[in-house]
Amino acid sequence: MEADDSIIVNNVSKHFKIFHERTDTVFEYLTSIFNRKKSFDMLDILKNVSFSVKKGEMLGIIGLNGSGKTSLLKIIGKIYAPDQGSVITKGKVTPFLELGTGFNGELTARDNIIIYGVILGFTKKEITSKVHEIAKFAEVERFLDTKLKNFSSGMNARLAFATAVEVDPDIMLVDEVLSVGDISFREKSFNAFMDFKKRGKTIVFVSHDVNQVMKLCDNVIWLHDGSIRAYGEPNEVVKQYTEFASTK
Amino acid sequence: MSDNLLKQIWERRSLIILFALNDVKLRYKNSVLGFLWSFLEPLLMLAVLYIIFTNIIKSGIENYPLYLLLGLIIWYMFQRATSLGQSSLLERAGILQKVYFRREIVVISSCLTAFIMMGFEIIALSVFMVAFHFVPSITIMFLPLLLIDLFILSVGISLFLSVLTVYFRDVRFIWQVLLQVGIFVNPIIYQLNMFPDNIRSILELNPLVSILNAAHDIVLYGTLPTFQSFLYIIASTGIIFIIGYIVFRSKEKEIVEKL
Repeated sequence: MEADDSIIVNNVSKHFKIFHERTDTVFEYLTSIFNRKKSFDMLDILKNVSFSVKKGEMLGIIGLNGSGKTSLLKIIGKIYAPDQGSVITKGKVTPFLELGTGFNGELTARDNIIIYGVILGFTKKEITSKVHEIAKFAEVERFLDTKLKNFSSGMNARLAFATAVEVDPDIMLVDEVLSVGDISFREKSFNAFMDFKKRGKTIVFVSHDVNQVMKLCDNVIWLHDGSIRAYGEPNEVVKQYTEFASTK
Repeated sequence: MSDNLLKQIWERRSLIILFALNDVKLRYKNSVLGFLWSFLEPLLMLAVLYIIFTNIIKSGIENYPLYLLLGLIIWYMFQRATSLGQSSLLERAGILQKVYFRREIVVISSCLTAFIMMGFEIIALSVFMVAFHFVPSITIMFLPLLLIDLFILSVGISLFLSVLTVYFRDVRFIWQVLLQVGIFVNPIIYQLNMFPDNIRSILELNPLVSILNAAHDIVLYGTLPTFQSFLYIIASTGIIFIIGYIVFRSKEKEIVEKL
């Protein structure tokens, strides 16, 4: 392992069993014992994927739907275990696979900030002291004690993003979160990412927005059917990818 | 192994407590009587059982209302903890699929929810003691230890059940039926000496029987459980917890994919 590598993905493979009929109950399980036929297919999600990300680097991952992008992020974030290969990460990893995971509409914005912050790794004390800062960034200060179910989806997204940014991890895994929100929110989140980069944080960024990828990323991986089809300089990889996608 | 677990669980204690508190909060949020329900639920049950068992079937147990209430409180704790713990992985599927933390945390916090609710009911019990002019003897100071043991036992069973429920969703219904039976094979409404000896000795294998007996002894009758039954409580809790933990660990990596 090189000293300045922050994520090393080594020969990772992952497959899922796709059940034709899922056995979800004890009864179905018992009947399936007597009725032995192959009831699932193996679907290879990732095949021998290897790459590394340096500290302070922003890596983009692009690819068609179902190419394995999100699964790859989940494996880096320890949510899925790889079937083969290994992943090494240095420092605190925070996945933003979906903004507002754990938000509950029945609780107030304040309560939600606290629970989301604690899920992402803060202690309650730490996050409580940041509630006002977060609400300010999200422009929802006046609504701190409003139940979240009365928030618009844009307010929701801003609140979640503001909380997530406060966590300040060493490695961020970002899945499509910038596609929500209006122009000013996008601007704000774009600046937040640039700021992270400046401070030497490592970011893995999955997006369908190739312009954003070209603007933000240092390197890009094009994932196709679970393998790396191209890796390298953003403009070059994006060009190959868009050419391929347009002929499809 | 367990050393590591305890350390990681301790590091995420904020999360465990917050999950549990929010659960309690949400449970009573949209009801008129709010958290008074936590008193009313066992009290209504108590009233019904009390009327039946003092007027129709004579139980002849000393301090019967308190006997009944104490048994119900402990039983409700076990019932809620294992029911909530059992479905906790499914309930929090959304979070588990997006963020990594020790998966045991959701199970433990569900049991903690039940434990907090039991706290309210214990307050109700002490109100009743005052109303009945009942003064417990010094042995009541062992009650917290017993309740902590009950908590660990509930977590152990929930760890096992929660994994099983991810694979087989109908285990939930099976467990609910068993819990229904449970109220009649434990010393809650009556004492187990109502049963013939051979049946009783089988029923007494259930660690909850020993826990309930011990609770009655130390709170109501001022006696300590025998050393033998004390040992049985500790050992059975330990064994059940370890089995639950091992089963949970062995499937931990797979669970999230199955949710």
